[in-house]
Order: sequence, then structure tokens, then C-alpha cells
Amino acid sequence: MSPSRLARPLTVLLLGGGLLWPSAAQAQQPAWKQGQPPSMSTSPLAPIPAPPSPTPAAQIPVDKIKLPPGFKISVWADGISNARSMTFGDRGTVFLGSRVAGNVYAVVDRGGKREVKVVAKGLMQPSGVLFKDGALYVAEIPRLLKFENIEASLDSPPAPKVLYEYPKESHHNWRYLALGPDGKLYFNMGAPCNICDPPDTHANISRINLDGTGFEYYARGVRNSVGFDWHPVTKELYFTNHGRDWMGDDVPNDTLHHAPRPGLHFGYPHCHQGDIQDPDFGAGRACSEFAPPLLKLGPHVAAMGIRFYTGSMFPSEYRHRAFIALKGSWNRTQKSGYRIMTVELRPGAPPRYEVFADGFRDGDKVLGRPTYIQWMPDGSMLVSDDYHGAIYRITYQP
Amino acid sequence: MTSRSVALAVLSVIALLGALTAAATTGTPAVDVEAGRRKAEVCAQCHGPDGNATAPGTPSIAGMPAFYTHWQLIMYRDGRRRDPQMTPFAERLGEGDLADVAAFYAAQRATARPASTDPARVAAGRPLAEKFHCTSCHGPRLLGQGQVPRLAGQDFDYLMKRLSGYKAKSASDLDGMMTMVAQGLTAADIESLVHFMASLPPAP
Ligand code: HEC
Ligand code: HEC
Repeated sequence: MSPSRLARPLTVLLLGGGLLWPSAAQAQQPAWKQGQPPSMSTSPLAPIPAPPSPTPAAQIPVDKIKLPPGFKISVWADGISNARSMTFGDRGTVFLGSRVAGNVYAVVDRGGKREVKVVAKGLMQPSGVLFKDGALYVAEIPRLLKFENIEASLDSPPAPKVLYEYPKESHHNWRYLALGPDGKLYFNMGAPCNICDPPDTHANISRINLDGTGFEYYARGVRNSVGFDWHPVTKELYFTNHGRDWMGDDVPNDTLHHAPRPGLHFGYPHCHQGDIQDPDFGAGRACSEFAPPLLKLGPHVAAMGIRFYTGSMFPSEYRHRAFIALKGSWNRTQKSGYRIMTVELRPGAPPRYEVFADGFRDGDKVLGRPTYIQWMPDGSMLVSDDYHGAIYRITYQP
Repeated sequence: MTSRSVALAVLSVIALLGALTAAATTGTPAVDVEAGRRKAEVCAQCHGPDGNATAPGTPSIAGMPAFYTHWQLIMYRDGRRRDPQMTPFAERLGEGDLADVAAFYAAQRATARPASTDPARVAAGRPLAEKFHCTSCHGPRLLGQGQVPRLAGQDFDYLMKRLSGYKAKSASDLDGMMTMVAQGLTAADIESLVHFMASLPPAP
């Protein structure tokens, strides 16, 4: 979203209310241009627009996607405008959020055919969804909502309960939502700008009890994380983070971070990617004050969903690897990202970072934008694409 | 929207226009400008036969980027953007109609709206459009692109209402960008920018 382009364009577009801007001069700049130095003011780079209609399956070029031997990709469901993060219901329903489309979807698998229903609409960027004990939790920009007993009433969903209201000045803050091993809901509260000194209420990952009580900050100095997961063995938090824009084509990187305990600070806005001081907000601060990233994921790649593999369909070398969807850049002369990567964590050695699925662009032409990852019970992979409004399924057969 | 309510909406459009073939309401979502022309007949009373409106306060939608018109119709239909005149018409459009109608208007040539713009205000607005990066999103001549609307030559009163609405955080806003941009504008900036936008040629 993100900059939304509304696509990644959107991801970066985030920015918040004018009150939070660092100075009067900077307050005059638009969201995604804010922080752009004068030398780049004529840059034609602008967020990629989100198409208002999803692409029919037959027109999605999945045959262009390259995978390791034995893997296959196909369109699993289409017609899901602006499809974002996914969560499985107990009865096998796949729920999805969206951003500018304002919809929450339910995809019901009817033996080979998928039926798509809109279970909520007109919301403000309801990008985070999480299913737990029969209820669907939805994080839109202003509120955290709960739809009770949702799978019993997909055609006439209940009115949601409002569990929590997010800070008012977080107007441009779409959210990711996940359930921690501690049974709490985790979500991001991104920086209200491209680069600024954010108030405490922003640039963090926070958590709350399932009933909306007990709010607390978990990680600070996080510019905008719209994907996280917990390691299947250590149960520790790993999250992706979007680097700032307008520092050039090759810096800073989007990053992967490890937050084994609450209270760590990850550097924003003073330090980027663990080793670059911010030209405006870095003075007097050292990168060594902050928790460094585990891995640089590439400049402007728009690192989104992350999921550790715990299934048994894929070959054993993939077990416990993290898969990361790189939705793809807009703030870069030559496009970057547009891939799904894997990260293998190795004790005592740097993580191994490899391409898994490639070919979501052809030169400058966008062929697709992999956004979030979800495992099916059989160990195959679902990937949402918010550009085509579709879900892909990736399977393995030796 | 369920398929049933899509069907209902489509039926009501048929009733309204009386001229749709079944083929135009079913089948693939391929965009059909000619179908869009027929589906837009009902809009002509306010927006003009080719999308060039004349009543002050009603926007011209000729020459608007198709994605923009399409998204705004979705917003009216879903209640995210509200207007007593416009909302009922958007609610009657079916899912398959939106792209056709949007493509029809995008293909029409926009004509200038009469406006008594003040040359001094226009001159003051021009540099502001650069300074606030209006041109980065709306294009160098403010003709719009993608989900970003054409501003050049738009109705004066309408531009004033919308830009003031973003500043007051009361206007609907697809992705939140405009609301944020407008926070940096003073009332005098808004006035000058509106004079400038209204004075520009609305077509390339
Ligand atoms: C009764 C008069 C009326 C009719 C009929 C009408 N509109 Fe409108 N339309 C308006 C007004 C007034 C506005 C501005 C409302 C606002 O400020 O939100 C508007 C706004 C719009 C906009 C937003 C333009 C922009 O620049 O943001 C679009 C798109 C639009 N109309 C399309 C249509 C279509 C398509 C139809 C026919 C299906 C239609 N209208 C029928 C009066 C009308
Ligand atoms: C970051 C991109 C961006 C920038 C910068 C930007 N706009 Fe916009 N503008 C948009 C988008 C997107 C919309 C449609 C928003 C919506 O859904 O209401 C819009 C809508 C508008 C509208 C409403 C037009 C209509 O037909 O309803 C006006 C007026 C406007 N912008 C003026 C300006 C002015 C003046 C500036 C500079 C001060 C500016 N914009 C800068 C993206 C931008």
C-alpha cells in the first residue's frame, strides 16, 4: 500500500496529520514527497495506482512466474479487489483485508471453485485481519473491530464490536494484525510521515488483549512494519520494515528485524538499515544505540508479508525458513522487488537470503505484486496480489 | 456486494435506461465505451451529455482518468463519499457498469467552465502548485493520472468546496493523501490555487 501505489506507492504514502510534521517547512510537503531533497524535486517517480477492478484469472500472467524445480503456481481465486492480508477460519474460509477498496472478503472453497463474498465494506483501509475462536478481528485505520461467530453468517455478517480506537492523528496508517504466542493481538502504528521525529504513539509495533484491554508498546523506532510472524521453535517475533524514501535508488534498504523481547528500539528516524545516519534526524545519534536489522532486504522493495514454513508439502530444506513477499518498488528509477524470497536463519552465521518466486515484473512492466503469504493446511502456499485482486496457490510435487 | 444485489442493481439500471441488452450486463468485465455511453445517459441531466457540466458546484467529468471516476463511483456506492444528488445515481450502478461509464467519460473531451478568475490570484497560485507538489501527483498540467483527478479547467465552486473540505478533514478521500497535503495550505493558498486550477486549459 502502502506505499499505493496506491501500490507500494501507498505504503510510503502514509504520512499523518500536519501537526506531526517535523517543521513548518516540511509540513508543506505531500505525504510521499515529504523528505525529498530539492535535487530530486523533478523526479517523475510516483506511487503506482491501484486498479479499481480486479483482473479476471484468465488475464493474470501467472505463467511468467519462475519457481524452483517441482513448484507450480496457479490462480486460486480472483475477483478480490485490492486483496491484502489473509487469515483462515476454523471451517476453511479465507478472510482477506484490503486498503483503498475498503472491503473485507471471505473466500469459500467449494471443491475446485472459490466463491468470494464481501463481509464488510466502506471501511477505512481495513488491511489487517485475524481469525480467532470463531471471531474475525479487523484493523482499519481508525478502529479495531470484532465480528463474532463470523463463519456462521457470511451472507449477513453481524455488526462489529469496536474493541479499540487508534490515536486520532494516525489518519494515514494502515495496519497489519497478527496473533502472538502470548495470545495477544499485535499491530503496527507506522510513522506519520516519510521521515520525521514521530510522537510515542507512532513508529512502533504494539499489542493488546483480545478483549481490547491492556494496550502496550512492544517495539519502537519501527518506521512501518506491515508484516510479522513468530519463529515456530523460539516463538520470537520477526518483522519486515519499509525503509524511508527519497534518499536515492540504492539506500536505504527495507529490512528484516528480530525482536526477541519488548522494549527494543530499531532506529527510526535516526538510523536506517543499521548503518546509515539520517541526513536530517541522525545528528548526535549513533547507529550503535539501536537494535540492528537481521538482514537488508533490498532498497525500496516493499517487504510485506512474512511467514515461517511449518508444513510438510515443500522439501525439507524449506522447513522453518521465512518466506517474504516483496511487493515491489515505486521510489526507484529501475523497479526492484516483485519477488518472493526465503530467509534461512543459521545459528552463528548470517541468514541466507534467496529468491523463491521471480517474474512479477517484466522490465518496467508490472505483472503482479505479491503482498501477503498464508499456508494452507496441506502445506501449500497462498499468496495475495493487491494489484490483480487475486490469490495464487503454490504447490510442490517432486 | 453479493451477486444478488449486483443483479438487483443491474436490474434497476436496466429499468432506468430501458435500453440495455442482456449482453451488456453479463459476461466478461471487458471495458465497453459504447455501453458506457448508454449507461451514462441518466447522468447527463447534471453532468451534461458528454460529461461537461454547466451548473456551478457540479463537476465536469469529461476527460477524467478512468481509474479516478471508477474509484469515486465505488466510494459513493459504498457510502464512503456522500452527496444527496449524486449518491442515489451511484447506488443504481452495477459492479459491471462502473468501468464502462468511467471509460466513456475518460474518452470525452473536456471543455472549459466559465470562471471569472482573477489574474493576480492565478499568478499567485501557479508557483504554489509547484511548491506543494500538486503537479507531481496531478501531472505537470494538472490533467490527472491513474486514481488522481484532473483539476485543470474544473468548475471554480466545486474546486473550492473540495479543497476546503480536505483542509477541514471533512472530505472523503480515497487514500488519505489529499487530506494530508491540504493541511499545509492557508485559506489564501487555497483561494489562489483554485483561481489557478480553474484558469488552466482542461484538455491537452
Ligand atoms: C442530480 C444531479 C446528478 C446526477 C444525475 C449525477 N450526478 Fe454525479 N455529481 C453530481 C454532483 C452535484 C456532484 C458533486 C458532489 C460532491 O461534491 O460529492 C457529482 C459528482 C460526481 C463524480 C465525482 C467527480 C469528481 O471530480 O470527484 C462522479 C464521478 C460522478 N458524479 C459521476 C456520475 C455518474 C456516472 C452519474 C450517472 C450514473 C451521475 N454522476 C449522475 C450530480 C449528479
Ligand atoms: C500525493 C499525491 C497528491 C498530491 C501531492 C496532490 N494531490 Fe490532489 N488529489 C490526489 C488524489 C489521489 C485525489 C483524489 C482523492 C479523493 O478520493 O478524494 C486528489 C483530489 C484533489 C482534488 C479534488 C478534485 C475532484 O475532482 O474532486 C483537488 C481540488 C485537489 N486534489 C487539489 C490538489 C492541490 C491544489 C494540490 C497541491 C496543493 C494537490 N491536489 C496535491 C492526489 C494528490
